[in-house]
Amino acid sequence: MASQELFKKIVDMMVELKDTSELMLDLAYSSILLNSKELAEEVQALEEHVDKLHTDFELLVLSAGIPSEESKNFLGLIRIGVVTENIADAAAQIAEVVLREIKPHPVLALAIEQAEETVVRVQVSKMSSLIGKTLREAQVHEETGMWVLVVRRGGRWVRPSPDLRIHAGDVLIASGYAEGEEDLKKLASPENYSST
Amino acid sequence: MVRVEKVEFKPVGVRDLLIEMKDLSELMIDLAYSAALFDSPALAEEVMEMESHIDTLTYLLNMNLMVAARDADDAESLVGVTKVAGATNKISDAAADIAAIVLQGIGIHPIIREAFEKVEERLTRVNVRPNSILVGKQLGELELAAKMGVDIIGIRRNKRWIINPEEDEVIREGDVLIVRGAPKGIEEIEGVAKGTIRKLED
Repeated sequence: MASQELFKKIVDMMVELKDTSELMLDLAYSSILLNSKELAEEVQALEEHVDKLHTDFELLVLSAGIPSEESKNFLGLIRIGVVTENIADAAAQIAEVVLREIKPHPVLALAIEQAEETVVRVQVSKMSSLIGKTLREAQVHEETGMWVLVVRRGGRWVRPSPDLRIHAGDVLIASGYAEGEEDLKKLASPENYSST
Repeated sequence: MVRVEKVEFKPVGVRDLLIEMKDLSELMIDLAYSAALFDSPALAEEVMEMESHIDTLTYLLNMNLMVAARDADDAESLVGVTKVAGATNKISDAAADIAAIVLQGIGIHPIIREAFEKVEERLTRVNVRPNSILVGKQLGELELAAKMGVDIIGIRRNKRWIINPEEDEVIREGDVLIVRGAPKGIEEIEGVAKGTIRKLED
């Protein structure tokens, strides 16, 4: 019987694989919408990260000492792991279009914009009331209806954990219904909310 | 033998096809995880239906792209569309793989269920029966979000899906609704669609 601790680790990795693969999809579509090589490169980097994580995950599951009556349950786990990797691959395939310097056909941007949800990128200005708050305290979703997908700080992408403290200059990438876009911009750069 | 549909060319806007494929593929991921989490063959079957629908759409999209390309420049800029459409197809295959876990009775380990159960939201699929009070109503006038805390995120009508339906969409007898919401609201909407609950409470 596998230890409780090992179980917890397996679950944590599983959740990370799932979350990362879905974040990658959002980023990949955004990279096309914004024709952003930066975002596209980030998706590629995350894809390598997922590959590695997925291998570690499989090794961990295999080392769990699975009793035969539980083998089906663990097979389900392994398959979900494979699925997250496939989704990550699909995201990388989307981002690749931007990196190949194929001028994205206007229909792509139209299709992504037309979707119910939109993705916006806003920079936190020195005047923003968000500075110094954690994401939990900032209540961005409650205030604007937008979910922060990822925070870019300097050259790095930071996962938006509730305890992450917002700094001036951070770039927030958030998704939600188009109506929330203006509110988020206002929150992030109150002095000039019409520009990104 | 697996039955595959014959696909004939018909002129369809590439934009509309792509939007449908993108929206469907994203909905499928949510549905598939929910199917695995709640061990729901009904949701899993829905995912399978959607997967084969996206396969058909992929053919249609590629045909329309081929017709649209007039010269080398067109070809260069349209190839990106096929790549993105291909990716949505890949995503839908991935979702179907999760659904297969449920349909093959493999199941997932209960520890995963615990990890995901923090999420309060559920998804369900309900059939609208002829005697349901939903029949003939516009989504907007039902105010389901206010009254029960549920949203209709998709409608299957015959062989088509309407993803994120508009307020003025009228519910018909035989519609299959994909609903997202808190467990209590989900229970209510199931009763309302079945016709056992005849009144919407405020």
